[in-house]
Amino acid sequence: MTLGSTTIRGNLRPKMTKDEAAWVKQELAEQIDRYKKIVQEMEALTPQREKWVADFLHRIQTRGYHVHAGNRRVIPKNEIRPRDGRPLQVVY
Amino acid sequence: MARPHIEPFVDRDVGFKQMTLPGFRKGIHFKMLSIDKDNGSCTMTVQYEPGFKQPPGFSYSELELFVQEGDLKIGNKVYGKGTYVFAPSGTALPAMSSQKGALCLAFYNFGPPSFEESDANHDKADDTQQLKIISSYDGLDWQVPTLFPQTAPGCLLKILHIDPKTFGMTFLYCMTPGFWQDNISYHDVAEEAYHIWGTSWMMQFGDLPTGGYFYRPAYINHGCFASDLGILAIGRTDGDLHNYFHHDPFSTPEENHERAAAKLARMKPALYQWILTHEHNHLPHDFEFPDDTYNTDDYDSGIHMHADGTSHSHKHSGSHSHLNTPKVSRKKNR
Repeated sequence: MTLGSTTIRGNLRPKMTKDEAAWVKQELAEQIDRYKKIVQEMEALTPQREKWVADFLHRIQTRGYHVHAGNRRVIPKNEIRPRDGRPLQVVY
Repeated sequence: MARPHIEPFVDRDVGFKQMTLPGFRKGIHFKMLSIDKDNGSCTMTVQYEPGFKQPPGFSYSELELFVQEGDLKIGNKVYGKGTYVFAPSGTALPAMSSQKGALCLAFYNFGPPSFEESDANHDKADDTQQLKIISSYDGLDWQVPTLFPQTAPGCLLKILHIDPKTFGMTFLYCMTPGFWQDNISYHDVAEEAYHIWGTSWMMQFGDLPTGGYFYRPAYINHGCFASDLGILAIGRTDGDLHNYFHHDPFSTPEENHERAAAKLARMKPALYQWILTHEHNHLPHDFEFPDDTYNTDDYDSGIHMHADGTSHSHKHSGSHSHLNTPKVSRKKNR
């Protein structure tokens, strides 16, 4: 699973066989369907998520934000970046 | 090489399919969790039927196997839940069987699943790594993460495998009951995880229960986090994991990516300046791995998936000179 991995050591047969290519093609088609379903489900969660975000922004300005391990810091309001109409996209 | 952003996905919601690839023996069923569009590498939930038998053999691609439930006999020893197997590409595993059946996770790295019957290693087997079998539940202790900045107290790790080149790692992690972490995180690397037991919550995706899975490309926001009753999960990264914490729920992967680069310039100015100065767009020479090559044009973060299953990263044209190359002012960073 090495990103930018360099050699073929992790895979001794980098060119897929015909059977493998067909199998992968089928699995990729099904993955697209799964992806689309996830996007729909996550869009449906938007109203709830907006509330979660509001709660989070409130908590870090009152209870604190986890900077490192158990170290927390209360974030002043002027450090909260304005939303300025930005969407809340979660699946890319 | 890339897999799309699959998050969240719960494998309990779908049925098993029979493994039909040539070479594999009967009695293997799988649920696909994620698959790479370029090389076919994939992560699957795998069910071995009771009575399953497989002769000695190897996978052409690197294989990791984790036993969730049941029994798996490898060679002369019977292994139970919590067993982790790492088999470098081309490294022969002894004969395998399961008397009562076994529910596993299988990670085929760099290439699609394959099985070639053989009682010897492939001639070109990866001899830089070794076959290992770990009893992770009773053979390893939980550790406080040594990643800085750290996750909140109550998130513990057991490291199962580290790639010697990239520091990509496979690990068990748990959240103790009542765990909470109020920040948003992202990483420079892709991350995937599967919930062996328990439910956790993330602000973007809601609850992830037992059987829940995600494959998340780099620079995508996740968190804040919480778990009422705790979880046990297995996770993986494809490179060195650094926690970038922040509190802007609306930042994009592109903004996160640029923020990470700015952080690199601040934290490692000598390295950053060297890269800029030399305008390196290839892997710099490493005397430890002199044969390595890496073309950055091949990089695909997997974000921005298209309907046809392809994806792309947003590329910038030309070299970046926001910091007035090559002077990454060290004075400014003091």
